[in-house]
Amino acid sequence: MKTQLKSSLNAGITFGIVSLFLYLIGFTTTASQIIQNLLKLKPASTVLGMDSLTFSFALFIGLIGLWAGVNQARSQKGQPFGTVLLSAVLTGLVHGLIVALAAYITGSLNASGVKMNTYLSQLLPASVKLFLFNQTPVLGALSQLAFLTLTALVGAAVTYGLMVSNVFGKLADAWRSMWKQVNAVPAIAKFRASPYFSYVMYSLLLLVMVFVPLRAGQYWNYTLGTVGIYVLLGLGLNIVVGLAGLLNLGYVAFFAIGAYTVALLTSPAPHGLVWNFWLVLPLGILAATLVGVLLVVPVLRMRGDYLAIVTLGFGEIIRILSKSDALTWLTGGPKGVNNVGGPVLFGWVFDDVSYLYLIFLSVLLAIFVTRRLQNSRVGRAWESMREDETVSRAMGINILKHKVLAFAIGAAFAGLGGVLFAARNQFTGPEDHNMMVSINVLSAVIVGGMGSIPGVIAGAFVLKGLPEILRELENYRVLAFATLLVVMMLVRPAGILPASRRKFEHENAPGNEGSKQ
Amino acid sequence: MIVALETRGVVKQFGGLVAVNNVDLVVPENSIFSVIGPNGAGKTTFYNCITGFYTPEKGDVLFYGESLLGLSPDQITYHGIARTYQNIRLFSTMSAIENIMVGEHSRLNASWAEAIIRTPRMVKEEKAAVEEARRLLNFVGLAGLGDQAARNLPYGAQRRLEIARALASKPKLLLLDEPTAGMNPNETAEMVAFVHRLRDELGISILLIEHDMRMVMGVSDRIAVLDYGEKIAEGSPTEIQNNPRVIEAYLGKPMSEYEA
Amino acid sequence: MATESKVNKKKVSTYQIVQIILGVVFGGYVVWRLYQILIANPVYGPDTWLRFAIAGIILGSVYALVAIGYTLVYGILHMINFAHGDIMMIGAFGGYFVFEALKNIQTPTLADPKLNFLNAHPVISVILAFVVGVSVAALSGYFLERIAYRPLRNAPRLVPLISAIGASIFLENAAMLMFGAQRRDFTNPLVLTRGEGWEIPVGGGTVILTYTGVLTFVLSIVILVLLYLLVQRTRMGRAMRAVAENKNVAALMGINVDGIISQTFILSGGLAGAAGVMWGIHLGLVYYFLGFIPGIKAFTSAVLGGIGNLPGAMLGGLFLGAVESLGPAVLGIDFQLKDVLAFGILVLVLIFRPTGILGEVLSEEKV
Repeated sequence: MKTQLKSSLNAGITFGIVSLFLYLIGFTTTASQIIQNLLKLKPASTVLGMDSLTFSFALFIGLIGLWAGVNQARSQKGQPFGTVLLSAVLTGLVHGLIVALAAYITGSLNASGVKMNTYLSQLLPASVKLFLFNQTPVLGALSQLAFLTLTALVGAAVTYGLMVSNVFGKLADAWRSMWKQVNAVPAIAKFRASPYFSYVMYSLLLLVMVFVPLRAGQYWNYTLGTVGIYVLLGLGLNIVVGLAGLLNLGYVAFFAIGAYTVALLTSPAPHGLVWNFWLVLPLGILAATLVGVLLVVPVLRMRGDYLAIVTLGFGEIIRILSKSDALTWLTGGPKGVNNVGGPVLFGWVFDDVSYLYLIFLSVLLAIFVTRRLQNSRVGRAWESMREDETVSRAMGINILKHKVLAFAIGAAFAGLGGVLFAARNQFTGPEDHNMMVSINVLSAVIVGGMGSIPGVIAGAFVLKGLPEILRELENYRVLAFATLLVVMMLVRPAGILPASRRKFEHENAPGNEGSKQ
Repeated sequence: MIVALETRGVVKQFGGLVAVNNVDLVVPENSIFSVIGPNGAGKTTFYNCITGFYTPEKGDVLFYGESLLGLSPDQITYHGIARTYQNIRLFSTMSAIENIMVGEHSRLNASWAEAIIRTPRMVKEEKAAVEEARRLLNFVGLAGLGDQAARNLPYGAQRRLEIARALASKPKLLLLDEPTAGMNPNETAEMVAFVHRLRDELGISILLIEHDMRMVMGVSDRIAVLDYGEKIAEGSPTEIQNNPRVIEAYLGKPMSEYEA
Repeated sequence: MATESKVNKKKVSTYQIVQIILGVVFGGYVVWRLYQILIANPVYGPDTWLRFAIAGIILGSVYALVAIGYTLVYGILHMINFAHGDIMMIGAFGGYFVFEALKNIQTPTLADPKLNFLNAHPVISVILAFVVGVSVAALSGYFLERIAYRPLRNAPRLVPLISAIGASIFLENAAMLMFGAQRRDFTNPLVLTRGEGWEIPVGGGTVILTYTGVLTFVLSIVILVLLYLLVQRTRMGRAMRAVAENKNVAALMGINVDGIISQTFILSGGLAGAAGVMWGIHLGLVYYFLGFIPGIKAFTSAVLGGIGNLPGAMLGGLFLGAVESLGPAVLGIDFQLKDVLAFGILVLVLIFRPTGILGEVLSEEKV
C-alpha cells in the first residue's frame, strides 16, 4: 500500500511537471490550435458551451489527464479495481494540484496586469487565459483540478476494463497468428528470404523516385531534395559512427568544404572563377576527403570521447573561419557566396526535377558503396573496431588505417552532399554550416538505427521531412529531436529500423533480427 | 627441436612495479606449454608483451628466430600468433560466423576499392572465407549456430567460438588465457581433449595460462611458474608438482593437496 | 641463469618526428612573435598586457570551475557530461531571476525614495543569487543524471554520450522556448557596476581591476580550495575517489555507488551554477546558448590539465583563459578568432600530450 501511494505521488508529480513544462514552453496553446485545425473548427464557433479553441485545449489537457490514468492503471496491473481507481485519483489530484497552482498564480498575475512574457516569453495573456479555460483564476484553477482528476479516473477505469478483458492482448495474438500463417505459406516465405524480395522492394522505390519528382511540384521537390541530401550525409556519417563507431560531431565541416569548393570555384564573386560544375564536383569531394584524412590522423590515437570533442571543435573552427572578417577575401565572409554555378548537361540547365534526380542518383550511389563495403573485409573490420578496438587489433586489423578509411569515405559523402546543396541553392554561407546540421544528421542516423541503411533513410525523413509536414510545430522541432535522442537511447538504442545481420546459413537460421545494442 | 617462441630476459615495469622480471622461456614447436602462477604474478602482462600490446623495457621476444620487438599487435598477428582472452571478448553483436571472418582478416587481401567493384578475385576470396569460417565452426562443434549473435551463445560455446576466431588467422602459435575459467569439471575435461586436438590435428604450438591445476597437469608438456613477475620454476608437470618453491608460492600447501 | 638481457631503446616513429617538427615550427613562431611584439616593435604597452592578463585570469577562473565539473564526472563515470555547459546556463538564469525579482522590491528610504532591495542590500542580493543559481543548477545536475544517464550505466560507450548530447540540446531549447531567444542584460547592484573598479597606474596608463572581476576570481579560488579539501579530506570525498577507482570494489566496501554518483552530479552542477552566476555578474549577458562555448572551453581546460585530475582542471582553466586573452595579441591573429585558438590548443594538446599537462588519472586498464 505504501509503495502504491508512493508510485501514485511520483506519477502525479511527474505528470504535473510535464504539463507545467508544456505550458511554459507554450506548447499547450500551439497544440490547441493544431487540434482546432485538425477538427476543422471555426475560431468563432462554440462547442459544448466553450469557444472552439478552449474546447481544443480541453481536449489536449484531457488527453494528458487520461494518459496519467492509463499509465497508473498499467503500473498497478493485477491490483483490485478499487486500488487502481484510488491510485489513479491520487495521481490525478497531484497532477491537477500542480497544474491548478500554476494556472492560478500565472492567471492572477496576468489579471493584475503583470507582463509575464518579458521573462517567460510564451506566457502571453491569451495563453494564460486559455490555460484557465478562459475563466477567472480561481474558477479556472479549480476546473483544471477537477478535470485532470476526472480524466485520470476515466483513463484508469477504461484501461482496467481493457486489461481485464485483455482486448489488446487478443488483438495482438490475432495479428501475430495471421502474420505467422502468411509466412507459413511456403511461396511467400521463400520469396521473402530470397534476394528477389529486396530487388522488388528496390524497384518499387526506384519507380517512386523516378515519378514523384515529375508530379510533386517545386516546393515538394525542394523539400525532397533536402531530405535526399540529408540521406546522403546520414549514409556517410553512418559509416563513421554506425559502422566504425567513431563519434564525429563536426561532420558539417566536410559538408561545408564541399559547399565552399563548389561555391568559390563556380561563382563570379569573390574570385571570378567560373569553372564547370562537373569539374568542380569531384574536386569538392576530393577536398572534403583530404581534409577528413588530415584532421583524423593526429586525432585517431585518442579515445572516442576526445574524438567527439575535437571534431565538434573542428566543425566550429570551419564555421568561425568562414564567417570571419579576416578571411572575407577568401570565403565571402558572413554574407556567404551568391550565384553558385549549377550543372549543365548537353545544354540542359538543371531545374528542380533534374536536381532531384541528381540527388537521388547520388543517394543510390552512396547506398551501393555502403552496402558493398559493409559486406566485405573492410566492413567487418569496422564493425569489430566498434565492438572492441583492442581485440580488433589482436585480430590483425590495422586500426589506424581503417579509421582513416572510414573517416575519408564519410567525408567524401559529406563533400558530395555539400556540392549538391550549394549548387542547388545557388548559395552557401556560414549559417548553412552550423552545428545543428551535424546534430541533425547524427540524430537521423541514431534515430533510424546505427549501421542500417533503411534506418538512415527513415531517420532523414523523420528529421527533415516530418517537420515540413508539421509546419505548426516548427518551434518545437529541435526540442523534439533532443527528446527523441535521449528517449531512443533509453528505450531503443538500436533505432527504429535496426541493422539486420547478414545471414550465412540459410538452412538453419534461428531468429536474430532486431538485435539490441 | 624447432623453437616456436623464445623470450630472453623480458622485463616489463609499470612505474616502480616490476610486473615481469627477466623471464626466459623456450616453447618448442608443436608442444603445449603452460605458464601458471598466483593472481597478479604477471601472466597476462607477459602475454601482452608477446602480442605487442606492451613493449618490454628489456629483453627480446623471438618467434621462429625473428624478433617481434617494436611490432604492433596487428603485425604480430600476421606473423602467426593468435590469442584468446581470460574474460571472453567476442564482437558481441556480430554473428558467430562474422566473428570468425574477422579473425580471417589477416589472411584476406581485398581492399576497399575491390570491395566496391567486386572483382572476381574478391568474390572468390569472400566465398572461400565463408567456407573456411563454416569449417572452423564445425571444428569447434558449433555447426549450425553461425548466424547467432555471439552474445546469445551459451558460455561454453562462446569460449569455443573465441578459439575458432583465433584459429581463423591460421596461427603457428596459439595463446590461450585461462580457457577453462568458469567451467565445471566435465567441460574442463572436454577442453583438455580439445586442446590436444588443436595440437595434434592442426600442428600448432600452444602457450597456455591457467589457474586450474587439474587442467594444467593433464594437458601440458612443460610448465613454467611465475611469481611476482619472476620465473621461479620450469619443468615437466611431475617436476613442478614436487618443486618446493612452487608449493611455497601456492599458499604454502603441498601441490597434491591443492590439486584435490 | 638468466641470459644477459639487452635494454630496448625506444624507436622513434614517424609520428614522433612529425610531432617534433610541428613543435619546433610552432614554438619557433611563438618565440619570433614574442620577440617582434615585445622588443622589435612593441605595439602594446605594459598596461595593455596587464589588462589582457587580468581579463584572461578572471575568465580562466570561471573555466576552471566548469572544468572541475567535467573532471569530477569523467573521473567517476568515464563519460563526457555534454550537458554540463547548459547546467551553467541554468545557474546563470537562476541568478538573473533573483536580481530581477529583488530589483522589483521597493525599499524606499528618506535619502532615496526609489531605492530597491538590490541596491539597498547588495551583499544579501549577491548571496541570494548564488544560493538560487547554485541550487537550481545542482538540482538540474541531479535530475540529468537520474533521467538521462543512470539507466545507461552499463550500455556501450556511445549510448550515454549520445544521450548527453540530446540532453544538452534539450536544455538549450527548453530555455530558449521558455525565456525567449534574446540576450538579456544581467542587471547588477550599483556597487557592482561592470567596468568599475580600482584603478592601478601601470607604466603610462591605468589598469582597472573591476569589482566584478575580483569577486569572480576570489570566489572561484575559494570554491576551488574548498572543493579540493572536500575531495581529499572528507568521508564523501574518499568515497568518491573509491568509486572512481573501481565501482564494484567500492560497492563491496559498503559504499552506495548510486548515491555517490548522484552527489557528484549535484556537486558538479552546483559548481557550474556558481560559474554561471559569475558569468552573468561579470560579463553581463544571459541567453539560452550561453553555456555552449564556455562548456567546450572548460572541457578543453579539463583535457589540458589531464581529465580526471582536479588540480589539473584548475590550472588548465587558468591557462586557457590566459591564452585566449593574450594569444591573439601574441600570435598576431584577429581577436574574432579567439575561439579558434582555444580549439586549436585542444588539438595541439591532444597531439603532443594526450594525457594533459599534469597527466590523466586513469583507473581503468587500457589493454
